[in-house]
Amino acid sequence: MTPDLDERTNPPALATLTALVHQSMQPATPEQLRRGWATVAARLSGRKARRRALVGWSTVGAAAAALVVLGVLSFSRTRMRPTPPAALAYQIRGGSVVDGGYLRESGNGAVKLVFAEGTEFVLMPGARGRLRTVDSTGARIAIEQGSASFQVTPRSDAKWLVDVGPFLVTVKGTVFTVSWDAAKERFELKLQHGQVAVTGPLAGGAIPLRAGQRLVVNLSKEEILITEQKPGEAWLGAAPDEPAEPVAVPRSDARVDDRPVTADAGQGASGRALVTAAGKGNGRRAWSEELASGEWDRILADADRIGVKRTLAEASSEDLFVLADAARYRRRTGLARAALLAERRRFPESARALDAVFMLGRLEELKEHGIDRAITWYEAYLAQAPSGTYASEALGRRMMATSKIDGAAQAKPFAEEYLRRFPSGTYAGAARALLGSR
Amino acid sequence: MSIHRFHIPLSLVVDPDTRNLSDSQLARALMTGAAWAHAETWNRFAPRVFGMAARILGSESEAEDVVQEVFYRVFAKAKSLRDPDSLHSFIVSFAIRIIRWELRRKRARSWLSFHQPEVLVDLAGTSLDIESRDLLRRFYAFLSRQAPRERLVLSLRHLESMTVEEIAETMELSVSTVKRSLVYARAKLSHWIETDLELVGLLDGKRGFNDA
Repeated sequence: MTPDLDERTNPPALATLTALVHQSMQPATPEQLRRGWATVAARLSGRKARRRALVGWSTVGAAAAALVVLGVLSFSRTRMRPTPPAALAYQIRGGSVVDGGYLRESGNGAVKLVFAEGTEFVLMPGARGRLRTVDSTGARIAIEQGSASFQVTPRSDAKWLVDVGPFLVTVKGTVFTVSWDAAKERFELKLQHGQVAVTGPLAGGAIPLRAGQRLVVNLSKEEILITEQKPGEAWLGAAPDEPAEPVAVPRSDARVDDRPVTADAGQGASGRALVTAAGKGNGRRAWSEELASGEWDRILADADRIGVKRTLAEASSEDLFVLADAARYRRRTGLARAALLAERRRFPESARALDAVFMLGRLEELKEHGIDRAITWYEAYLAQAPSGTYASEALGRRMMATSKIDGAAQAKPFAEEYLRRFPSGTYAGAARALLGSR
Repeated sequence: MSIHRFHIPLSLVVDPDTRNLSDSQLARALMTGAAWAHAETWNRFAPRVFGMAARILGSESEAEDVVQEVFYRVFAKAKSLRDPDSLHSFIVSFAIRIIRWELRRKRARSWLSFHQPEVLVDLAGTSLDIESRDLLRRFYAFLSRQAPRERLVLSLRHLESMTVEEIAETMELSVSTVKRSLVYARAKLSHWIETDLELVGLLDGKRGFNDA
């Protein structure tokens, strides 16, 4: 039996949520549509090529049938040879493969290749590279200009080769970044995990590298340099370590300890502006504009490319806040937290430093056991900015968090305070519900 | 080393005349495999499919993938379109099928995972305040816990304003099954709202929002 359903009824809560979804939804941007069409068109042309090949094969089918008969006869006399294994499947993100195997960006971002066995290859924005061959054991990729990063899944039979300018990198299971500047004839490889061997001009044979080493070959100066990477130094694409412990602040303490909590943020405070690709004057948009158009990944890619450590140490106050937002939206909470802490440490007098206190509380709430720490941040914010931008939210969040961990009774004083200060605030309904509960 | 530059011959620029074609004329061209019809179909319908997928999935990046998959399949199967007047519903039915498949895939992945992934609302609405974004995140987290069919029915009815009959037709279900799914989904939604004190507060703060 079909349950009774009144189609005209639209629960107010559902209507509210529906309206929110519609308000949050932005129409597809021309860039999204252009990118999507390029992908579909490329897939369609690939399909047509396959179909043409199929038609071609069918026209010679009759002749092939005769050959098959002969083949079967000869097969019966010879040992069956195994069919060659299929080449690794791969998926392209942010671009496409065009004639000659060249990788073409679909926007201004990086092109990423993800292979079926887990290996990932990222061609950084502005770099030129191509996929030379792919087989069942790996691929051969050429970097003609710019930087690329690799994360090769270890396998006993893996065979990955990377041509970087005139150099050849032989790879097993490894994480590394590599770059080639054709104008300066400069090769650089940073090895994060695993082992690689590099051959090429000046090398005089294969140069083996182990994890933590950086090789720089400067052909114009005829110079080869191998250095050890300091432990803790940020690598391209690496997020800062999540601090083991949050900043310890007694709940009643009005001040928040603004010590840097990551090694990244430990560089000296500097007010100088970071000369980033996101900076103004180089033809690219500022991070705040990219954030406004939802291009969070581009901001994060910029930060990764520049180096997280350097970004945190040198980015402007605005960029740090934007970076924190982008990282938060993309669930890189460690990076978001580090950016907010850097904001507080480097620009302690700014309004954003105060906002960062509230946002740190929100970040803590995202963690499974972060409510206690969140309360600490909210209380610190309320103490420092009792009438600040986020005062209503901080008080409301403190009330809700207290209710969650200590029970409704403990939260009632906060509910009363909230209703007294913000009778029509966002949390007024929840405060009344709390006061009405036993 | 010589450097070769290659370009993909994109046909995004559509003959202006084709924009005046009706959907059924476009469908006929699509069925004959005309290349320009692909581009025009994309230009005409991709934004709508994108909007629908983004609202249902709560993610623009996932919606982008879905739209590409939908149109690739639509173009590959265009010859199977029997009624040129039903091009729109033909595309929508493909979209719903792909979205449903995507929801099933996500649910299967969440079962295989040791920990429940955090629900990320990836809609670019920058005009929303932090509480609204939180509310949205919670809403999509609730939806992610529902069975794909119930989630899809609820979303199509309330986010896409489709009638029960339209949902039944595009999802190839009976009307009574759609109604039953809708009742169950709404009951779960009501229970979710009533039992979450924090949500009551957030919703209370947004009351009247939809009337604005």
